[in-house]
Parts: sequence; structure tokens; C-alpha cells
Amino acid sequence: MTKRIIVYIVIGTISILLQKFLDNFASLGSVAPQFVLLFVIYLSLREGQLFGTAGGFIAGLANDMLVTHFIGFTCLVGVLAGFISGFFYRESEVDLAGRTLNFAWISAVTLFLTELLALPIIAAGELNYFYVFLKFTLGTTVYTSVFAMIIVFVNGKKSRYV
Amino acid sequence: MFTWISEFFSLAKNYFIFALLLALSLFLISTNHNSYTRGLQAAGLVTTAYLEAGVQHVADYFLLSSRNKELLKENARLIDTVAKTHLALDENEQLRQMLNLKSQSTTPLISGTVVGRSSDGGRDFLTLNIGSDEGVRIGDPVVNGSGLVGIISNVSGKFSLVRTLLDADSRIAARLVDATADGLIEAGSYGELKMSNVARRHDVKKGDIVETSTLSSLVPPGIVIGMVSKATDRTGNIFKDITVKPAVDFSSIFAAFVMQYEPPAAAVKLEKEAIKKK
Repeated sequence: MTKRIIVYIVIGTISILLQKFLDNFASLGSVAPQFVLLFVIYLSLREGQLFGTAGGFIAGLANDMLVTHFIGFTCLVGVLAGFISGFFYRESEVDLAGRTLNFAWISAVTLFLTELLALPIIAAGELNYFYVFLKFTLGTTVYTSVFAMIIVFVNGKKSRYV
Repeated sequence: MFTWISEFFSLAKNYFIFALLLALSLFLISTNHNSYTRGLQAAGLVTTAYLEAGVQHVADYFLLSSRNKELLKENARLIDTVAKTHLALDENEQLRQMLNLKSQSTTPLISGTVVGRSSDGGRDFLTLNIGSDEGVRIGDPVVNGSGLVGIISNVSGKFSLVRTLLDADSRIAARLVDATADGLIEAGSYGELKMSNVARRHDVKKGDIVETSTLSSLVPPGIVIGMVSKATDRTGNIFKDITVKPAVDFSSIFAAFVMQYEPPAAAVKLEKEAIKKK
């Protein structure tokens, strides 16, 4: 277990660094791919809902300190993403997390629900809720899901499941 | 009883932990202006600013050639401007002497390079490679050649964090120059700003200049914020809906100046006295 936690810390750190340094290059009209949330979903599918929820909070806090500088926001979406994706956890399929197309659609569903639940905070003071919904809820979901597909195809090549 | 509670907790522990962490996240969001949370922000800022500065050095190396060409063009334009300015200054000096005007005081500026940008979920911050060691303070306004960029929201020794006008929490008192109306500039949609609290009776047109207001205690008046791109009246609303195109191109900004602005002491004293009376 200790070895697995170290691996998760390394993957989590890489996802935060990607979030930090690829943000400007990979953003489309200020819609950025949520690498940290993909990591949280992966964590939840590998280790279960409780681990994913707690991991989502810790990864979110680190991301808020190092990337967004708005403490609490990614903690919230991280907790939501970890909890929601935890419902898709299957003990018999933990080795397939991030390797099959299941990861892509689970990510899409989780991201959509997470961004939808966080909408009141994202759109605080914004009159145009529909614009914020289109941009941050749908935009982030679709764009991040594309990266989830890329992860599946890159990672899946190592296995026979794709 | 205890067994029942422990069984119930083991069955619902995921929900308990979820609710607890959710509440903690919301608490952190609500205390973002608290000094402890600012401490967390500052710790993160210092950690990433060094990394960003390193990445910036590498990126600068590859961008040097195109940057040099830009600077050569800029230099030629500035030489022309300096020549014109000398003429204008001479003329100005003569007019000043004629009118017996005092020369305007200038706010000290600290120049810095943008080493990072964070734009996520309605938040928009820039990281500058200057900090409290250079005299930057929380609340100082930040400008560049085009206009107002934002306000310093956090500072460490060597770096500072700028809350840009596009951030969801940014609020700046502004003035429509032609309509002589004051309002509030906030982040809008599609990378634009919106100006609120401007009464419908004012005649606001597309292209009107928006600048910082004399009512602001954060920024000196007269700094350009942007230009009106749309102004409409909505039925049942006593205020206008005004969209403002920012003067600053936030996507390509690479340098900025921090203004060491001190609001007039008498005005600050009056405001403090008014707050005490309340």
C-alpha cells in the first residue's frame, strides 16, 4: 500500500504540474483541461469512493495552493469528483482503470455532474448563467474528456482491453 | 447502542467523510480573504513562482529572436515619440508658466515581468517577479502601457499575485469619460468587462472610454480601463447594461508596472471616521 501511495503522490504531482504549465498552452478560450480531476477519478476507480473523496480534497488543496490561488474551489470539485466517480468503482476492474473506454465515459459523466454542482460558485455574481454553463460545464467536460480518451489510448496500448 | 452507532457509521462512512470534506471546502472558499488562507496562498505562490520563473527563462531563450525584432520596432517608434514629446513638453512648460500651475505629482512605479498566469473557474491571476522586497504591497494597482491590469492580491518577498480585471471577484470604481457617469467595473462574459450601476438617463455610446474613477480608493483616477462595446437598456431595470472591451490584452501581457499609490490621506481619514460613526 505504501508503494501505491507513493505512486499516487507522484502521479498527482505530475497532474498538478501539467495543470500549472500546460494551462496557457492547452486552454481554449480560458477553458482548461482538468488534469487534477482526471487524476482524482482514476484514484477513485482504483481505490474506491472513500480514498477518492479524501484524495480529491488533498489534490484539490494542493492545486488551489499552487495553481488557482483560490483556496477551496478545487478542494470542492475534487471531493465531488472523487465521490461521484466512486459509484463506478468495481473491485474486479481496478486494474482496468485508465485503460478502457469506461474511463473516458465515467470521466465525462463525473466532470459534467461536478462542474454542474460547482456552477453556483463559478457563476457567482454572473448574470449570464447559460454562458457559464456552456463554457465551464459543457466546455470543461468535453475538453477534459478528450484528454481522458488520449490517456486511454496511450495507456491502453499496453493492454489488450482497448 | 454503541454497536448500532458503529455499524451505522461503517455503513455510511463514505457519506460522512464526503459531507465533512464538502463542508471544509466551502469553509475554505468563504474564508479566502482571511489572513490564514492568505498564508496558504502565499506559500503556494512562493513555491510555484520559482518554478514559473525557471520555465519562463527557458521559454524566453526560444522567444529572444522574435522579442528582439519587436523591441527594435518599439525602439524606432519610441525615438519618434520622444522627439514629439520634447516639443510638447517645451510647449507645456511655457503654458504652465503662463497659467502658474503646479506640476502634477507622479506615482512611483515598480516594473515587473509576468512569470505566470492562472485562469480557471472564473479566477484570473498573474504572477509578477517582484514582491515585498521591491516595495510591492497588497492592494497596489497594476498597469501596463495600455491601461489598468488589476490589483495586487498577495505578496511574498520576491513575487506578487495580481487579481486581474477578468477575475470574478474584481470590482473597480470606474467613470465613463464622455457621459461623466460613475459605475462599477466587474468581469463579464467572453473576455469582456461589464459596467454596472450606471443610470439609464446617461447617454452611453459604443466607443466611449472608461477609466478609473475619482471615487476609487484603490487606484488613482484617469487610468484607462477600456472602451464601451455595447450599451443597452433593459425593461424594468433602472441601470444600463454596459459591456466594456478591456484596453489591456490579458492573453499576451508579459510585463507590468506596480503603482505605489497612496490615496489622499484626508479622504482616507474621512472614510475611517465615517465607518467608526456607523
